[in-house]
Amino acid sequence: MMARLVQVEGLTKVYGKVRALDGVTFDVEAGEWIAMMGPSGSGKTTLINILGGLDTPTSGCAVVDGVDVARFDEAGLTRYRAEKVGFVFQQFHLVPYLTAIENVMLAQYFHSTTDENEARKALERVGLGDRLTHVPAQLSGGEQQRVAVARSLINHPKLLLADEPTGNLDETNEQIVIDLLRELHVEGHTILMVTHDPSIGRLANRRIDLAHGRLQQIVTISAKD
Amino acid sequence: MFGRLLWQLLRGNRGRLAVALVAIVGGGAVISAMFNMEIDVRKKLTQEFRSLGANVVLSGHGAGDQALMRESATEGVVERLQPQGTIASPFLYVVARTAANQPVVLAGTWLDRAPAITPWWQIQGEAILARDDISHCLVGKNVARQFALTPGSDLELRYADKVSHFSVSGIITAGDDEDDQVFANLAVVQNLSGLTDRIAMIQLRVTGSPQAIQSFASQLKIALPDAEARPIRQISETEGSLLARIQLLMITMALLILMLTGLCVFATMAALAMERRADVGLMKALGGSIGRIVRLFLAEVAVLGAVGGVLGYTCGAALTLWAGKRVFGVMISPRLEVLPLTIALMVGVALAGALPLRLLGKVKPAVILRGE
Repeated sequence: MMARLVQVEGLTKVYGKVRALDGVTFDVEAGEWIAMMGPSGSGKTTLINILGGLDTPTSGCAVVDGVDVARFDEAGLTRYRAEKVGFVFQQFHLVPYLTAIENVMLAQYFHSTTDENEARKALERVGLGDRLTHVPAQLSGGEQQRVAVARSLINHPKLLLADEPTGNLDETNEQIVIDLLRELHVEGHTILMVTHDPSIGRLANRRIDLAHGRLQQIVTISAKD
Repeated sequence: MFGRLLWQLLRGNRGRLAVALVAIVGGGAVISAMFNMEIDVRKKLTQEFRSLGANVVLSGHGAGDQALMRESATEGVVERLQPQGTIASPFLYVVARTAANQPVVLAGTWLDRAPAITPWWQIQGEAILARDDISHCLVGKNVARQFALTPGSDLELRYADKVSHFSVSGIITAGDDEDDQVFANLAVVQNLSGLTDRIAMIQLRVTGSPQAIQSFASQLKIALPDAEARPIRQISETEGSLLARIQLLMITMALLILMLTGLCVFATMAALAMERRADVGLMKALGGSIGRIVRLFLAEVAVLGAVGGVLGYTCGAALTLWAGKRVFGVMISPRLEVLPLTIALMVGVALAGALPLRLLGKVKPAVILRGE
C-alpha cells in the first residue's frame, strides 16, 4: 500500500467576495500522477499555489508529507518551498540573465549548497547537455521548459507541481515535456499537474475535476483510457 | 554561487546600473577632490595669507624720539618669544631732504626681508636683497615722479649735517604710504640720522591661529612694557574666519553632493526594483528568503558603490590637480588616505540609495507568477 503524501481537507480560499476554493477535499498517494482539470476560474491554480506554499488557505488544511502548509509562517513557507516542492510553470519563469545551469543552481543555492556537477547532470537528463551556458533568450520554449523541469527536480522534492507545463509549447516540445513527466512518474515522483488538455490528463493515474472552486469528481484513469 | 549570481546581476543590468555608476563616480570625484583640497587647503591658504604681509606691529609708546626703541634689546626679546616661522623686520622713519632741500620720508628697514613683510610691493627695476647694501635705495612711485627718478638714477639725501648718496635700484608701487617714501637698509638710515641702535617699530609676520597671534602679542607687551604690540586684526581674524567658512562650505557641498548622488541611485534602484519584481517573485517561489535575496541585491549595490568610489577617486585626483593649479596656483597632491574614505562614503550612499529594494519584501510570488 502506498503512503499518503498529500491530504487536503475542506480547503477554502476566499479573495474578497470570491470563493476561489470551496471546501475541497482529496488525497494523493506518493508516486501518483494527478491531473487537475476544470474551466478557467475553477480554482486549479489557487489549489496548486496553496499546495506549493505560494498562497495560504482561508480555512481547511493541506497536509504535504506530514506537515500542514496552512500553519506555516512566512519563513516556514520559504523553507517548505525550498525543500518539499518543485514547480514547473506555464510561463517557464527562468531568470533571464542567468544561464541554463545557473538557473538550475539557483534552486540549489536557496535550498542548501550548489553542486554544478549535479546541475549539469540534471540538464543532461532533460537533453540539454549542450545548452548549459545558454541564457533563456537563446533557448526555444521547449528547451526553457526543460530547464524549468531540471530546476524543479534538482532538490529532490517530494511533490512536483506543474501548472499547465505544456500550455506554451508547440506539439513537438509538448511531447518532449510530456515524455519527461512520464519518465519522472515511472521513477516514482509524485506529480500534481494542472492541464486543460484531456489527452494529457489521460496520462495521469487520477483526474480531479474542479468547477467554481468546488470538487466535482475524482476520476481514476484506467490504462485503456 | 553568491559571487556568480552577483556577477550575472551586474552584467544583466549593466545598462541601468551604468546610470547609477556615473552618478556615484561623479559624486566620488567631487567628494575626493574636496577632501584632497580640504587637507591641503589650510597649508595653502596659510601660504596665501602669508603673502598678505605683517600681522603684528611692535612700536614704542609716546611721540617723536621718545617713541623709538632700542634695536638690540627689542630684537633680543622678539627672537626669544617669537613662534617658529616668524619673520620680523625693524623700521626707522626719518624726514630727510633732497639736494634741492625738498623733504622726503626715508624709511630704514631690512630690505632683504621686504618680499616677506611687504609682498604686495611691485618693484620696477631691481629689489635690494642684501641687508648690508648701503649704496642702493628703493623709492615710492610718487617720490620717483616728483623727483623724476628711474632705476639707475642718483639720489642724494641729507639729514642734519650728514649726507648719503644712493643709486635708485627700483621704483615701488604699493598703493599705500610707501609710494611716498624712500627705502634704504636700516643701518644706512640709522647712520645718516645718528639714531644708532634705534628703531620706530618692528613688523612681524607670525604664523598660527588668531589666538596664537594674540597670545604672542600679549607676551611681547609683558616683556616690553615700554612698547605696544598690536595684532593687525583684519588679517589674522580674516584668516581664521575664512578658513572656517571654507571648511563649512566644503562640508555643506560634500553633504549636498552625497545627497544628490544618493537620490540618483535611489531613482535607479526604484526602477530596478520594479523590473526585478518578477525575478524576486520567482526566487521566493524557489525557496529564497527575502533576506537572502535582498542581501544579493545590496551586495550588487555595494560593489557598484565601491567601483564608483575607486573611479571617483581617480577622477577626483585629476580634478584636485586641476583645481589646485587654477584656484590656488599651487600643486595639491591627491592623498591616498582619501581613497578608503571615498569608497566608504560611496558605498554608504549607494546602500542608502538602495532603499527602494525594501519594496521587494512585499512581492507575493503567487501574484507575480500569475503575471500580474
